[in-house]
Amino acid sequence: MATVYINDKAVDIGDKNLNLVQVAELAGVTIPHYCYHPELSVVASCRMCLVEVGEKKPDGTVVMQPRVIPACQTPAKDNLVVQTATEKSKSAQAQTLEAILLNHPLDCPVCDKAGECKLQDYSYKYGNSESRMVDDKNTPPNKPDLGHNISLFTDRCIMCSRCVRFTREISGTAELHIVNRGSHSEIDIFPTEPLNNKLASNVVDLCPVGALASKDFLYTHRVWNLKTQDSVCAGCSTGCSIHLDTNKNVVYRLRPRENPKAQGYFMCDDGRLGYHYANSGDRISKPQMKTEIVAHQNSWKDIIPALRTDLKAIGTKKPNGIAVMLSPFLTVEEAYLLASFIKSVSADAVLVLGPIPVIGEDDHYPKTRGTTPLKPKFTIRNEKCPNRKGVEEVIRYFEKKVVSVVDYLNQTIPDVMFVAAGYPDKDGSWMDSNLLSLFKKIKLLIAQDLFPSELTLASKYVIPSATFSEKEGSFVNFSGLAQELHWGCVPLHQVRTEGQVYLDLLERKGLLQASTIREEIAKAIPYFFKFSGGKLGENGIELENLS
Amino acid sequence: MAKYEPVLLKRISKENSDTIESYLADGGYLGLMRILKDCSPSQVIDLVKSSGLRGRGGAGFPTGLKWTFLPKNHPGPIYLCINADESEPCTFNNRVLMEKDPHQVLEGIILSAYAVGASKVFIYVRYEYGDAYRATERAVNQAYEKGFLGKNIQGSPYSLEAVMHKGAAAYICGEETGLIESLEGKRAWPRIKPPFPAIEGAFRKPTIVNNIETVACIKNIIDLGGDWFKSLGIPPDPANPRDAGSYGPKLYCISGHVNKPGLVELPMGISARELIDEYGGGVWKNRKAKGIIPGGNSMGFMTYDELDTKLDFNGPGKVGCLGLGTGAVTVFDDQTSIVDVLYNICRFFAHESCGQCTPCREGTSWMYKIIERIRKGHGSIEDLNILEEVGNRIGTMPGTTICGLADGAGWPVKNAIRKYRSEFESYIKNGTKKFRHLHLQMAHH
Amino acid sequence: MSALNPQIVEKIKYLITLYPAKQAVTLPALHLVQDEYRCVSVQSIVEIAALLELSPAEVHDTMSFYGFFKTEANPLGKCRLWVCRSLACDLRGADDLLNNLIDKLGVGLGETTKDGLFTLEEAECIGACEGAPCVLINDVHSLNVLDADRLVEEIKKKL
Repeated sequence: MATVYINDKAVDIGDKNLNLVQVAELAGVTIPHYCYHPELSVVASCRMCLVEVGEKKPDGTVVMQPRVIPACQTPAKDNLVVQTATEKSKSAQAQTLEAILLNHPLDCPVCDKAGECKLQDYSYKYGNSESRMVDDKNTPPNKPDLGHNISLFTDRCIMCSRCVRFTREISGTAELHIVNRGSHSEIDIFPTEPLNNKLASNVVDLCPVGALASKDFLYTHRVWNLKTQDSVCAGCSTGCSIHLDTNKNVVYRLRPRENPKAQGYFMCDDGRLGYHYANSGDRISKPQMKTEIVAHQNSWKDIIPALRTDLKAIGTKKPNGIAVMLSPFLTVEEAYLLASFIKSVSADAVLVLGPIPVIGEDDHYPKTRGTTPLKPKFTIRNEKCPNRKGVEEVIRYFEKKVVSVVDYLNQTIPDVMFVAAGYPDKDGSWMDSNLLSLFKKIKLLIAQDLFPSELTLASKYVIPSATFSEKEGSFVNFSGLAQELHWGCVPLHQVRTEGQVYLDLLERKGLLQASTIREEIAKAIPYFFKFSGGKLGENGIELENLS
Repeated sequence: MAKYEPVLLKRISKENSDTIESYLADGGYLGLMRILKDCSPSQVIDLVKSSGLRGRGGAGFPTGLKWTFLPKNHPGPIYLCINADESEPCTFNNRVLMEKDPHQVLEGIILSAYAVGASKVFIYVRYEYGDAYRATERAVNQAYEKGFLGKNIQGSPYSLEAVMHKGAAAYICGEETGLIESLEGKRAWPRIKPPFPAIEGAFRKPTIVNNIETVACIKNIIDLGGDWFKSLGIPPDPANPRDAGSYGPKLYCISGHVNKPGLVELPMGISARELIDEYGGGVWKNRKAKGIIPGGNSMGFMTYDELDTKLDFNGPGKVGCLGLGTGAVTVFDDQTSIVDVLYNICRFFAHESCGQCTPCREGTSWMYKIIERIRKGHGSIEDLNILEEVGNRIGTMPGTTICGLADGAGWPVKNAIRKYRSEFESYIKNGTKKFRHLHLQMAHH
Repeated sequence: MSALNPQIVEKIKYLITLYPAKQAVTLPALHLVQDEYRCVSVQSIVEIAALLELSPAEVHDTMSFYGFFKTEANPLGKCRLWVCRSLACDLRGADDLLNNLIDKLGVGLGETTKDGLFTLEEAECIGACEGAPCVLINDVHSLNVLDADRLVEEIKKKL
């Protein structure tokens, strides 16, 4: 039981090992800082977090130390007294800002970071409004090609060294380093090793100012026009929590969202930059039903009933002739709704699992150049889909076992198959030629996918899919962590989310409310019993008890 | 006063003073052998503690006390690092000791290593000291040959390996943890403390860092006794409970505008004026001193009127200097422009700042740009206020930086502005001065 | 292995045995290479990094900190002649000495004479202030240098 006093407010830190920046946060006090980051080693070099620290004696008097101390390097202990806003603290913080701004270019009007820049924010709160610098600023040349996706605006760098420590401690690839010394220090790469590791773009988030930029986002949008939603990356089964940044139904950027239950603070570049398919003009933009004569562009109000009729007809005639493929890109709610619908059409309808894309091996970081492997701090998983676990558990509930679509089709060719795909791959490359030829043997195909392919060509019904950025729902990652997605974009043209389509098929009125569906799932499927209440919280809920 | 007979510099003028044969003939290594046979490491620590020896590298920390910070009963390894990076401008006593009497230094090293329980000593020599490096390296090899280094020294259970390590011309490698980082092969960015090197130092093991002159003193304390050491210098001021005294002999470097620049060994506490006049041959060209740097650039300035200050650990602080530093006195005469002197010093610190922490990286660069502009004739009175403010606010004393380079960078600036303000002001008011290649326009013609 | 000759590689491997961690051999390895080749090439850095189990960037980080090691684009001449510019030398004529050397050698600071013999540089206090103004000839001190011409001639005789 330890008590620390932050600006005269008592904070009980229990028996946790915290530094003063963390303790202040618990008290609702921000101690400004640049170089400190909870996942990186402490260097206390930016000198932004300077505060006054003292001790409360048993008799109640407080003895403050004569000099300011960095909060990030000071461990919290019982009876520590911290003052962050005294004359001495404030003046130390203002001095640090003045020093940083001596050589910092006034680039705000052209700098990507404006609006989310710690230098702007802290200058406004803790700095001076005027500069006393009349001499020339250092102007080192910029380095636009530090890596495939990284540009460096060298003159903006404040030498916090977060990026260098990231490549040494987290990715382990150590491409970034510092050259020269003193006020001529710069960040750089070595010519034979540009900054191209799979975690590279995290340095853009880590950079407190606009020195490091993501080429993917550079100059595309001002951050204050972006709408941000909490969501989950759909790139692999790690299921990194993300911020989804959109404007006017276009996805502009994904950023990792801190989640101690999920991946921590970072995300990989494949996931971060792998959203462009959502904005693609090649997406299937409207539902389509083929008639005898020619492909009719029909409307939802015609197609949904027609589809329902077709399925019910087969359901009556041949109850086990209906099959549904559920892809691992569906949310739990979508899988459940479609499964419920199909089972209402025929109790003998078969549910199978779509292909699970697996590329290579799990990729562990940090890498090392030595011979002793290091304990992984971040893993990019080889299972390149977000919800295999969730969809499998839905299938397992209805079918008692999980069968892959290939294994099923190799045994049985159904009369009709509803292929709920929604894979981000273009041209149907999520299917190999074997699977495609198996699909083509099916008389009546209903294809629900993002992009046209030979499958959609062969299908009577083509239903557009929506992307993760357009959905409400949940994914379950490799470890059983269920997290909520929130939509940032309204699906364009005549696209509807899978969940909405399945509600319509079920003739349930109204818009999809994911939390309502979750409550139903919680009652029905034991694996999902923690879904009761409908909310998963911002960090998600662990469905599998890891004791 | 009876003339002081040098002890540290006793042998430096002898022929072949750097060979082990000459050293042994003069009674060298006898102290080491006696200690290995008769004394435990903790007895050596006690002896050094009671001698009152304070480090000669610039910080003046009591050596014996520093040794006691090592963790007790540590399984090891424990490392000793010898700081031969001597880069404080105007200081050269370590160089002379290593070139001329490397075995004295080496015996002091081995004694210190034994006292702290070190199994390996890294001797970090600045690159520029090529001859000193080679002399010390030869001495190390000779010591190995004769069994004063290596396994079971002179048949005792104590073993010590010595590794010579060359620097590459960076002042910050003289800072304790900067040296350790440089030794480890990284850029010499000083570490945040805690942890202190005695707990977690080189290669994350307990490490003691000692200066060359300090270990030379240790060898002589072993030979001549702690009482001998205490008989020299100045005892603590009874009115100041935190004064650890200024005992022992000190090597004073004299340079600049004097007739006899050189190295002299004297008991601690000689006044600056006496040092310059009696041992430095007085100010050259029959001029007066405008001022001195009393202990290397970092210590600031003493004006002509302050020259009666004693050069012990307390004296310079009494007249507003940072401290004794390395005891390297540089004199500049009354025809020298203080602007030129301060320019030279600011240029040095801006060049040598490691760049790790914001106040020093930006502050030393700012101070340099300002003094450069003042020197070119485009300064303003406001610049003096900024210089003084920056000089005051960067450093470990206000708590704003990681290491003491910033204190050393700011001290001469704030001393100069305060003690020579009228000269600065008239320089600023009188505008441009002509000079070539941005170097000192000196009155030495 | 192409940039480092076998003797240097052997020496580096030997040095690794003296230190508790391989990275500590960075500075000694850089010295070995520069002493031999008068510069440290990109390929040398790659090979040193491989021997020490570091990334080339980590080696280059250390190397560039010191401002001491030269790249292959700008190698050292046979003699690195560095003139001390710190206070004690400055007070006793270092600037005149430097200007005279610039005239005598016909190069600017940081440049190498066309015959590849001299690279002229400035140094911060080289610790020979009793003989100011002083210079370093590679790593050997020369004190009380008042005659730039004579200094250069004497060095040339020994090169």
